[in-house]
Amino acid sequence: MTAVPAPAAARPLPAKRGRLPAAARLLRLELRHNAMLWMLPVAVGLFWFTTYRKAMAMPPLWNLRATNMQSGALLAFACPVAGAAAWMGSRETRRHTADLVTITARPRPARLLTTWAATTFWALAAYLGCVAVLYGVTAQQAAWGGPLWWPVAVDAASLLALSALGFAAGTLIPSRFTPAVAAVAAFFALGLSTQLIHGSQSYWQVSPIVTGPWDSGPDAGVGTFYPYLPDLSIAQVMFLAGLTIAVLGAVALPEGPGRGWLRRSAAVITAAGLLAAGTAVALAGTGKLDAHGMIAIPALHDAANDRPLRYTPVCSHSAIPLCLNPAYTSFVPAAAAALSPVLTEIAGLPGAPTRIAQAAATYQQGAGNAVSIRLAGPSMSGTPPVFHLPLPGQLPGPAMTTSAVAAAVRASAGFALVASVVGDGPGATPAQQAVVAALSMSASLPQSSPSAPTRQRPNATVPLPVPVRSAARRFAALSSSARHAWLVQHLAALRAGQITLAQLP
Amino acid sequence: MTAGAARKMPAAAAPDRKARRAWPPRTGMRLLRLHGASRRVPAAIAAIAVCAIGLRIALLGRWDSYGALQLPLVFEAGSAAAITITTASPIGEPERVTGRWLPFLRLATTLTLTVIAAGALCAAGTGAHLAGGTLDVLRNLIGMTGVGLLCAAVLGGGLAWIGPAGYLVVGAYGLYTQWHGPALTTPWIWPARPSGDVGAALCATLVFTMGIVIISVRGAHDSVGE
Repeated sequence: MTAVPAPAAARPLPAKRGRLPAAARLLRLELRHNAMLWMLPVAVGLFWFTTYRKAMAMPPLWNLRATNMQSGALLAFACPVAGAAAWMGSRETRRHTADLVTITARPRPARLLTTWAATTFWALAAYLGCVAVLYGVTAQQAAWGGPLWWPVAVDAASLLALSALGFAAGTLIPSRFTPAVAAVAAFFALGLSTQLIHGSQSYWQVSPIVTGPWDSGPDAGVGTFYPYLPDLSIAQVMFLAGLTIAVLGAVALPEGPGRGWLRRSAAVITAAGLLAAGTAVALAGTGKLDAHGMIAIPALHDAANDRPLRYTPVCSHSAIPLCLNPAYTSFVPAAAAALSPVLTEIAGLPGAPTRIAQAAATYQQGAGNAVSIRLAGPSMSGTPPVFHLPLPGQLPGPAMTTSAVAAAVRASAGFALVASVVGDGPGATPAQQAVVAALSMSASLPQSSPSAPTRQRPNATVPLPVPVRSAARRFAALSSSARHAWLVQHLAALRAGQITLAQLP
Repeated sequence: MTAGAARKMPAAAAPDRKARRAWPPRTGMRLLRLHGASRRVPAAIAAIAVCAIGLRIALLGRWDSYGALQLPLVFEAGSAAAITITTASPIGEPERVTGRWLPFLRLATTLTLTVIAAGALCAAGTGAHLAGGTLDVLRNLIGMTGVGLLCAAVLGGGLAWIGPAGYLVVGAYGLYTQWHGPALTTPWIWPARPSGDVGAALCATLVFTMGIVIISVRGAHDSVGE
């Protein structure tokens, strides 16, 4: 047998797929084999059930739907994301492959961060998809304004932080029970942390579930007349970003001796993250409820946000025009129709308003989480006089349908209009009370004492004395034109208290 | 030895029915212990104990009415998740083909853990203001365990925690709608129903029964290597 030199084996051409950088290939592998994919239907289903349905039941106002989405979507995604991240973090130990992957060329921090990045990518993709649907539908329904992006940014930062925390838990305690604990703990921390909030200067407001003064419920009036304040959102994003960086830095700390520079870098990153998170908590503690219903943080506050938003009101074609913020365009026909009987009664009377304009409410922090909300300034002002009212649907509380808003406007603003024209109030004469009662009867308004125009319907009915009721019935029995003619002639005297019950027709 | 001869097993080699009946209790106990260890039952009991202790500590705090209602639900979900995780089998196919007692062992494990969890959570609420009371705890626990068992049949025991965790969000939302309407009144969202509601109790029991039957008969849908 002779030695024949064998031809040199041709070097195989690099496959096209091989040209992809190793990190990208690893990421693609992690994306394809990620537990978060299995959790996506659950997360999206929870979003639909708890957030989307609720948002669609609300009036199509950007501020209302965006702030509702921030807390709702976060709770819907918290459990699946934290749990899936913990499951992925514990994978190597759970599958007994830790020793196997330790000897690979890819360093541990890079390996772990790739797994975390893939998990977070799926979570963010699903979340942004849900936001796109919700905002897309709202864009078609909303009459005015535009999408608010700060709530979206807070939720996205929250998902990064939850994913990092879950992943760290799974890496450090690689038990089969860790994902369950992480998921339930995430819900507990988010859902029940707000129990600790007392007043607007609470450090706990840094919780990403908080969008405004806690316990006051969804508030449609916020961000409509004044810009949506990003102060609290900035502090929340800062806190969440710092937390994410600190946790990932701690996870990436190399095990065992050696790699001193990597250890130092990870320690510096962790410290920087903790510093950012701590600063954000301190900033959140300096927040206070501003007059427009949002949390203002002095160090983050932009004075330009205190200027009212400019808009052209949308007015009805009623006897006295009812003019609302264009965001409430859909309420105009119903509210005008509800007020129409009252407006017909008072239109043209001396001192009657020439226009009814929607006004912003002003907010003041009370004891604990109580917030007092009232109309800024007098209800009637200007020359010619304009009657200002906050629409019941713009105050905090459960979302109201258009018909519910119309009924509330009729009950509160209708009575307040009549009372302001006739001059009813604490020192009103029996004749004034009788005329107010008569006009209310004619306009089919509920017989009640005038109250502040808030969401709650006046429930403290003040019974009128018998002579006043008799005079009111007598005056209401007149024809509309006769009533109107008498009021045109005698309203000034009636307001001055110079008319007695006997002088009423 | 021909195939025919092989089919005809000698009488001495055939398993003795009497011997089967006289299965020594020590062997049965050993089987139970091994099954429990393979399913991480001690860890699950520890997790349930942690949930009960956590509930007890949390009940010492001051909660508003909404938080007080949500609070037990969180720990019930944690206990239910711990129970459902024990459905994951690390042995897989060999166990399925050799274990004649496997369905009974699965049933016994799940039922025992559910009873332990119910007892622990009720004990944790004794003497404290447990919103909804003991009946609420029992109903919610068995219902969420059922949801978890059904998830284990689909996703595997390892990922079955998503059932109780996801249902926790649904239940908490149901409670939320009692304050901020329109209220959800379907009995399928049993945490939002009063503790004496028969429909809600039936729904929770039905889900638990379905879950335990499926898991006992088929086992969790576990992939190799998990």
